[in-house]
Amino acid sequence: MARLIWRVAPWAVVLALAAAWEIFAASGAVTPFMLPRLSVVLERIRADGASGELWQNLAYTLYRSFAGFFIAGALGIPLGILIGRNRAVRWLFDPLISVGFPMPKIAFLPIVTLWLGFHDVSKITMVVLDASFPVVTAAIAGTMSVERELLWSARNCGARGAALLREVVLPAALPQIFTGLQVALPIALIVAIVAEMKMGGVGLGGAMITATRFADSPGVFAGIVEIAVAGYVLVKLMAVLRRRLLLWHPEALAPATV
Amino acid sequence: MIQIEGVSHTYRTTDGRDIPALEGVSLEVREREFIALLGPSGCGKSTLLYLIGGFLPIASGSVRVHGTPVTGPGPDRGVVFQHFALFPWKTVLGNVLYGLEKLGVPRDVREKRAREFIDMVGLTGFEESYPSHLSGGMKQRAALARTLAIDPKVLLMDEPFGALDAQTRSLMQAELLAIWHRSPKTVIFVTHDVQEAVYLAQRVFVMSARPGKIKAVVETSFERSDPHIFKSKAFVDKVDEIWGLVRDEAMKAQKGRPF
Repeated sequence: MARLIWRVAPWAVVLALAAAWEIFAASGAVTPFMLPRLSVVLERIRADGASGELWQNLAYTLYRSFAGFFIAGALGIPLGILIGRNRAVRWLFDPLISVGFPMPKIAFLPIVTLWLGFHDVSKITMVVLDASFPVVTAAIAGTMSVERELLWSARNCGARGAALLREVVLPAALPQIFTGLQVALPIALIVAIVAEMKMGGVGLGGAMITATRFADSPGVFAGIVEIAVAGYVLVKLMAVLRRRLLLWHPEALAPATV
Repeated sequence: MIQIEGVSHTYRTTDGRDIPALEGVSLEVREREFIALLGPSGCGKSTLLYLIGGFLPIASGSVRVHGTPVTGPGPDRGVVFQHFALFPWKTVLGNVLYGLEKLGVPRDVREKRAREFIDMVGLTGFEESYPSHLSGGMKQRAALARTLAIDPKVLLMDEPFGALDAQTRSLMQAELLAIWHRSPKTVIFVTHDVQEAVYLAQRVFVMSARPGKIKAVVETSFERSDPHIFKSKAFVDKVDEIWGLVRDEAMKAQKGRPF
């Protein structure tokens, strides 16, 4: 019984918030333009789904997020491992990362637009710029905390160079690298949506901006709900993937949260 | 045979100071001999082991294993670490297989050999377990199986039972001796436990406080199959004799430290 309550509790909070939204919007305290009723917003999402518009927007946004996310991972993981293992590479990249990490990468959007135009290339570039930092820094930290004895054990058996990195450093650093990826994926989604809002066109962010221009209040709020659901699903999928990949890790025995 | 001549080693701390860890260490270990390196903590006994293992650069002096100067790690010298250093993402079987894979042992042979060594250390039934699900003693058994499987001529053991509880430790000591009797290898066993050194080794090399030097070499050959060896007068006397040598060094090592 107690376990059932704990499983239901998080959903009860969501339901309570949804009910509060519906009641408050219907109370007349605000105009439907300021805050449309949740039922109206949900009906709008259903209609957009039926017409196929929702799926098109979602597909574009996810495509941009994932393309940027995978490029960030493919660049960031090897780069982070190299920085963590090699002092010369570390000296080369450390200032770049220290300056670049706290910088709002979104500030580069006008430059990226100048260089690459308004299409997918520049949106994906923005995602890569932002999502690669958490991956690189996590890979550096993970690599540098690999136990010396673990490397020695492998070298003792004859592992060298790239094999040592692939067979020992990468799996040993994987828990931290994966944490970096888990931070990077929501960032990728956020940046894709912001870029869409600034550059316009198809996509969840672009659709919201279009809705605003037409003073289409339910359309704007539909976008918010869609993004929330998409983000939730992505974060949970990453948690599931983490448990699969890190089955050997002691944390696999604990319940997955984020 | 291992010949160490005039080996010195200096550590550089993170704040840039040079700490002499070893100073002019010379010793010789015979083929298939079991020796213990005994000394207070910080005397450089592990450093010496890592130099033989080829993990640290040899700045001065020379280390030869079977006549060949040591230039890096190699499968002729197997290492067992205090904290096991098992690959946590591999199962027990996967850990033991890794070294065989690296040595290029054919697939069908390595699986069979890995299982043999897992059986030898008494881990049958735990082949598919991950290290995080094993107790300390079982982890060290797995690490021992991994090292023995690559069939090194020399076994370098760095306080391998130091992280285990007392019961497990004495059990593992007896099993190590049994394994050694079955297939004798040259063993260098680092420990700060006098009784462990006297029980396991044929010769005990007592090291001085930092910078480490060989202070004394004591012969400690007993009939180890005798279960009451720990109570025999000869054994107790030997432990006492060596303890006397170590105590002075331990006190020197403590000087200048609050506790």
